[in-house]
Amino acid sequence: MSAPKFAYETTRGFLPGHRACAGCGQAAAVRVIMEVVGPKAVAANATGCLEVFSTPHPESAWGIPWIHSLFENQAAVASGIEAALKKQGKLDGVKVLAFGGDGATLDIGFGALSGMFERGHDVLYVCMDNEAYMNTGVQRSGSTPFAASTTTSPAGRMSFGEDRPKKDLPAIAAAHGIPYVATASMSLFADLRRKVKKAVGTRGPKYVQVHVPCPPGWGYDEKLSMEVGRLAVECGLYPLVEWENGKVTRVRKIKKVPVEEYLKGQRRFRHLFRTEEGKAQIARIQELADESIERYGLVG
Amino acid sequence: MMVARGERILMRGNEAIAQAALDAGCRAYFGYPITPQNQIPDYLAAHMPEVGGVFVQAESEVGAINMVYGAAAAGARTMTTSSSPGISLKQEGISYIAESELPCVIVNIMRGGSGLGNIAPAQADYFQAVKGGGHGDYRTLVLAGWSVQELYDLTREAFDIADRYRSPVMILGDALMGQMMEPVVIPQEVVEPEDLPAKPWATDGAKGRPRNIINSLYIEAPDLEEVNLRIQGRYDEAAASEVRYTTEHLAGAKIALVGYGTTARISVAAVEQGRAAGLPVGLFRPISLFPFPSGQIADLAEQVEAILVVELSLGQLAEDVRLAVEGRCPVHLYGRTGGIVPTPAQVLGEIERLAAEK
Repeated sequence: MSAPKFAYETTRGFLPGHRACAGCGQAAAVRVIMEVVGPKAVAANATGCLEVFSTPHPESAWGIPWIHSLFENQAAVASGIEAALKKQGKLDGVKVLAFGGDGATLDIGFGALSGMFERGHDVLYVCMDNEAYMNTGVQRSGSTPFAASTTTSPAGRMSFGEDRPKKDLPAIAAAHGIPYVATASMSLFADLRRKVKKAVGTRGPKYVQVHVPCPPGWGYDEKLSMEVGRLAVECGLYPLVEWENGKVTRVRKIKKVPVEEYLKGQRRFRHLFRTEEGKAQIARIQELADESIERYGLVG
Repeated sequence: MMVARGERILMRGNEAIAQAALDAGCRAYFGYPITPQNQIPDYLAAHMPEVGGVFVQAESEVGAINMVYGAAAAGARTMTTSSSPGISLKQEGISYIAESELPCVIVNIMRGGSGLGNIAPAQADYFQAVKGGGHGDYRTLVLAGWSVQELYDLTREAFDIADRYRSPVMILGDALMGQMMEPVVIPQEVVEPEDLPAKPWATDGAKGRPRNIINSLYIEAPDLEEVNLRIQGRYDEAAASEVRYTTEHLAGAKIALVGYGTTARISVAAVEQGRAAGLPVGLFRPISLFPFPSGQIADLAEQVEAILVVELSLGQLAEDVRLAVEGRCPVHLYGRTGGIVPTPAQVLGEIERLAAEK
């Protein structure tokens, strides 16, 4: 009997040997996603870490047809692929995917994403949410959490870091009334697998936003990615929710750990633990977590 | 942390550009992340609040350039910075700003292209910068430095030039200029926004005066032609007053190299090596790329036997040189592309090859 194969060896969607940083949440998440999606797929990928580390020409970690576009266009490129395959009668059974980071998705590519939803393309859009522009050196994005320090929202004498909470793109996606929207975490593989399976089994536009911890960008020991991602979920700051046709259909219950447990190990929040003002910001972050716990009924 | 002034300090090109904007009285910066210019927004995110200015990271380059459009209309000294693909996205806004006769400074730290290309030094956005870039009958005034000190000085002056001609001014650098660290002296004196000349055309509140209009829409063709001719008149004025260049070792030269920014910096080393070996070679370095030093290059073509254009693109600068030379002497091209930066030895090899052909 031959040795059991790793899943990627049979599905061959996303292969090892790429150049992601040690502990990269995104690399682990894409591997899991592609194990579920399988080889009969096409991906459009925006500029960002995923594109850079997985496709340094002429190498590629992708076992499927893959196309790059600039930052703002991946939803449009995927729309074009889907429309052309459909017109040619070749879409049957082919999963069309679009990948973008949080900057590409929440900021510059937002218009194209909304257009893709509104036109009803049969595309799964996956947002890799590491909460800043990591590929260009940790600049804040619309997804950067409240009080996080980045190079363009630096904490210091004049500022406590990012002064606004994350843009709630999953809720905005759901408000388009598309068939399926979900948030997921790289740290909860089984949950991520189930959501991707559901998404690819649903016709029409789908949006899955995956929280992917980033050791260099967030500033924590790379071996802790799974733990950091899990804490984000368990404290209520990253609620795992599913929407179908605009309605919340399922939430993942949490243990409710204090937000300090999640914040304290990360360099981007370290300034909060040094001053009285910082303590007030931590209290505000706890309120944000409590609001999301209340809104989605995450406890009980 | 304020910068040390009046003494030699080590600074990166991108940081010098950012500091120059602060020292020129720019209090409104709008940017978006793209390599290799990220140190500019990073620097201004940290230091703009210290001088009471506004730093905004927009949601896209289109957002950033149109924030500049708004801020310029409101009378502020304003700047945006980006790199090649990002500058492409800004073109619609630059066209609107030019036609609306608004001053601003735009920095392009060029990278290898086309398409996604790479993040290595290139000069392949030359045409885009000097020929207009976006739609319509406009130009941007374009300045290119070859040292960190000159990047500081030119960026500072660019704000004055922009105000003088009510036009966007572009600083054209590249990944090497932006990332390179060199000694630089930041002067003591700085411009405070309240010391700047008034902008009576600005749309900053019409109480007690007739309203001002900022516009680029003229449905009647004669009206639009009038505006375009007025703007063209400013370019003619700039061509008479704003042409800048330097020359190195041109006395007695039979071969003249022409290059700007990074390639001029490499070429001057090749020229000095060539001179040491007895080759009659010199360098002409345009600093203003629009207006272009066409008259000076025409004069140069009368004095030398051949011109060798050195550029990190495939004949873009050479085209403007040929238009200036008008057949007075042969114009050769040594163009590298894709992010390749030649060594002085490679440029010297081209000089030697040309000299041997004679």
